[in-house]
Amino acid sequence: MKIVGIAACTSGIAHTYIAREKIMKAAQELGYEIHMETQGTIGTENKLTAEQIKEADFVLLVIDIKIGGSERFAGKRVVEVPTNTAIKAPKKLLQTIIDKL
Amino acid sequence: MKNENVDFNISDVITTELISVDLRADTKKEAIEELTELLVIKGDVTDRQAFIDDVVLRESEGITGLGQGIAIPHGKSQAVKNTSLAIGISQHGIEWESLDDELVSVIILFAVKDTDANTLHIRLLQKVAILLADDNFITKLHEIKDKEELIKLLNRKTKEV
Repeated sequence: MKIVGIAACTSGIAHTYIAREKIMKAAQELGYEIHMETQGTIGTENKLTAEQIKEADFVLLVIDIKIGGSERFAGKRVVEVPTNTAIKAPKKLLQTIIDKL
Repeated sequence: MKNENVDFNISDVITTELISVDLRADTKKEAIEELTELLVIKGDVTDRQAFIDDVVLRESEGITGLGQGIAIPHGKSQAVKNTSLAIGISQHGIEWESLDDELVSVIILFAVKDTDANTLHIRLLQKVAILLADDNFITKLHEIKDKEELIKLLNRKTKEV
């Protein structure tokens, strides 16, 4: 299973990075390949490559705000959740999505 | 997110003056006020009420209680002179909207200068945020007894992420 995603929160200071870290850890523990971009106060980091997006089975948007560059995911299966959902139960979130694929 | 070229030092964003290991506050509002007071005394926040208003505004936009007894209120504000952290540890627990509905005992207040974007200070705050996804760090945070111990823990851990 290959996943790409974006994390972005209201002020772009804390939740963005906590959510990314939690999702990355959960995915790795479950044995999935994952790439997560962040859009925060710092700007965009760990920007997804076209190749990563192309290979992904789905796109996970962990966001509380509008993000930039969503047109990159045209034609992909996209799942969107708030950052707090990812922070609260990251493994459960991934498992639930994957079970439904 | 490693950056080998920059020497990060947690003392750029937090010192013992910005820590309370025995918060008097009984409520969330009092806790925000008590921690803001530390930032005002140190000179990192110039307008007490304006900063509190910005933190309260952010609180209204979504839950800042992360679960596991941790809350991260934050304000990006014109009232902030230096991007900093203030940390309060409560011995009795404080009611706070939280992802696990439990009381909060460690409150990390992020005070962010509204013009700061990709600065060293913001990078340090980002590192602290990343640490909050680490259960081992959370456990250690709850074992903290004094201010120096907390600075040492933050200093060591932020160099690892």
